[in-house]
Amino acid sequence: MKKNVLLNPLYALLLLVLGLSGCSIGSAVQPWEKETLARPEMTFEGDPLDNKYTEHIYSSKEAASGGAGVGGGGCGCN
Amino acid sequence: MVIFQKKKLKAFLVASFLCLSCNGTSYALEAGSKAPDFSLPGTQGTVSLSSTAGSVVYVDFWASWCGPCKQSFGWMNDMQDKYKAQGLKIIGVNLDSKTEDAKKFLAQTPAHFTVAFESKGVTPKNYGVKGMPTSFLIGRDGKLISQHLGFKEADREKLEQEIKAALEAKK
Amino acid sequence: MKSLPTKKTHVIGAALFAAAMTLPFSNAAFAEAAPEKGIVAFKYLNYKESQPVSEDRMSVNAYTVSAMAPIAGKWSISTSYTYDSVTGASPDYHSNIDHFISGASPIREQRDAGDLSVTRYLPQGSVTVGGSYSEENDYISRGYSAQASISTEDKNTTFTFGGSYTTDTIAANNSEWRDLGRIEEKRTVAGALGVTQVLTKQDIVQLNLGYSKGRGYFDDPYKTYDYRPDRRESKTVMTRWNHHFAAIDGTSHLSYRYYTDSFGIRAHTFGLEYLQSLPHEWTVTPSVRFYSQTAADFYLPVDPADPGRNDYFLPLFIAGTPLGITSMDQRLSSFGALTLGIKVEKRIAKDWIVDLKYENYEQRAGWSMTGGGDPGLKPFSASFVQVGLSREF
Repeated sequence: MKKNVLLNPLYALLLLVLGLSGCSIGSAVQPWEKETLARPEMTFEGDPLDNKYTEHIYSSKEAASGGAGVGGGGCGCN
Repeated sequence: MVIFQKKKLKAFLVASFLCLSCNGTSYALEAGSKAPDFSLPGTQGTVSLSSTAGSVVYVDFWASWCGPCKQSFGWMNDMQDKYKAQGLKIIGVNLDSKTEDAKKFLAQTPAHFTVAFESKGVTPKNYGVKGMPTSFLIGRDGKLISQHLGFKEADREKLEQEIKAALEAKK
Repeated sequence: MKSLPTKKTHVIGAALFAAAMTLPFSNAAFAEAAPEKGIVAFKYLNYKESQPVSEDRMSVNAYTVSAMAPIAGKWSISTSYTYDSVTGASPDYHSNIDHFISGASPIREQRDAGDLSVTRYLPQGSVTVGGSYSEENDYISRGYSAQASISTEDKNTTFTFGGSYTTDTIAANNSEWRDLGRIEEKRTVAGALGVTQVLTKQDIVQLNLGYSKGRGYFDDPYKTYDYRPDRRESKTVMTRWNHHFAAIDGTSHLSYRYYTDSFGIRAHTFGLEYLQSLPHEWTVTPSVRFYSQTAADFYLPVDPADPGRNDYFLPLFIAGTPLGITSMDQRLSSFGALTLGIKVEKRIAKDWIVDLKYENYEQRAGWSMTGGGDPGLKPFSASFVQVGLSREF
């Protein structure tokens, strides 16, 4: 049951994130307060070509791959 | 493996929908209701909605960092020039937290309409602004006619039609 | 020269830009609003390996052009094309180079890949469909994907759902008689769920769950006695957190990924990068990444008495290994890896950005967080250099 031990904290984290997302109304960031969040470096997209190359390298040199989430369309990484 | 068991996946989905429903508590202004008044510092003295009574007013909430806001400036300038004589008054309410940012923006992108500065976020809250930019069209009677979220090239015509109709409407 | 590739010629294709394991998902946009500007970008990559003892390791040069264009404020279309060429050799067994053919000159192998995707933006979300294709002389891959995102009314929470289907066709030219000329297939379906949440004016977090199930040929066609299960299921949990430091105008990106699969591999990946804005439109980004994995259940360690694996039939008789299921691939052993990198970007004109990135990567059996590294494996290191140019329209 080693896997349980490893994964439970992650599951708790999942619930935490969802909890924060659902009920943070009191402190919700307003549309006009998103100046910083609108900056490109605050998105999770990053530099798509850089990501494409590095993910490609890692997936061919390491057993694990994926995880960065659903992307738009194919990345051509096979 | 644990995390992907059906039960837990279900919990994820349930939680997801809870979040969606939970976050929907935002009060929106309805067409026909009185537009909330405001009095704010502007480029040329105080700007207030109540002092525009009798005009058709187009209130636009914008910020210097918002791309579509910038796109809408040219169009708002055109509208102000074109319909001034018929009684259109455009008020651009800037929502930057630092007013200097807005002034820098205005130096590069001049406005032919009235600009007011609101760094506290009170007015947009009263109007229920849900995105940047958001605009409100207010009739000569001070009542809200319509609101519009975002600005795309494709919106120009429809918005102009609405302004025209408001200007032509009987009091 | 085209038919009957020798050991040395086919070494390459698979190893690096190899296909096998990725899915047609990338880090692409989570944008709920249509982009205002289009972009055309070019990026060059040089990848170079070095491993003590061997002289003839792999090197890759890759070139990618990509374009994204907004259409009518409601749509966007993205496309990219990549060409890469690989030279050098890949190990037969663990990490030693092929020892029975020597003196051959380095061989080149090329790959062409392209993808196309279309996104429709809606007031509360977006829908994207895409396809990708990649071809090298002994490997063809086709991928299809679809995803949707939906945001709450205040746009502080975004949910994403996606799925993909990939089919690979592989010329399984193992050096063994039983494989000559055999064409194999692999099909993979994958799904992902994600949530992105704005926490404060300076903090945004994301959680992604991924699942993938593949059937078919998972062997490495370039390795001797590499026989893996014909099914592979993997699961990932990834969390990311971006934070902006207003006082110093810097942004940190922190990430963690957990990976587990039916080969018995479990892996942890930690990433941290810090973007510092500097005067005159410069940005400098140092980064660090640590990765650690356990070995596959069927991984066969280096035999200290016979590191070159001259006893060809040995793996087939290893006690405790199902007959025929075994691999000596270093990538399936237990190890840890560290990447240190630095990226420098400059906006050279209103719409033009150039960037340069250098990364150094090192893998060691002794760095595995969970222990159990194969002491017979030599450390492995590589350097990645990227040069990019992009222009907005």
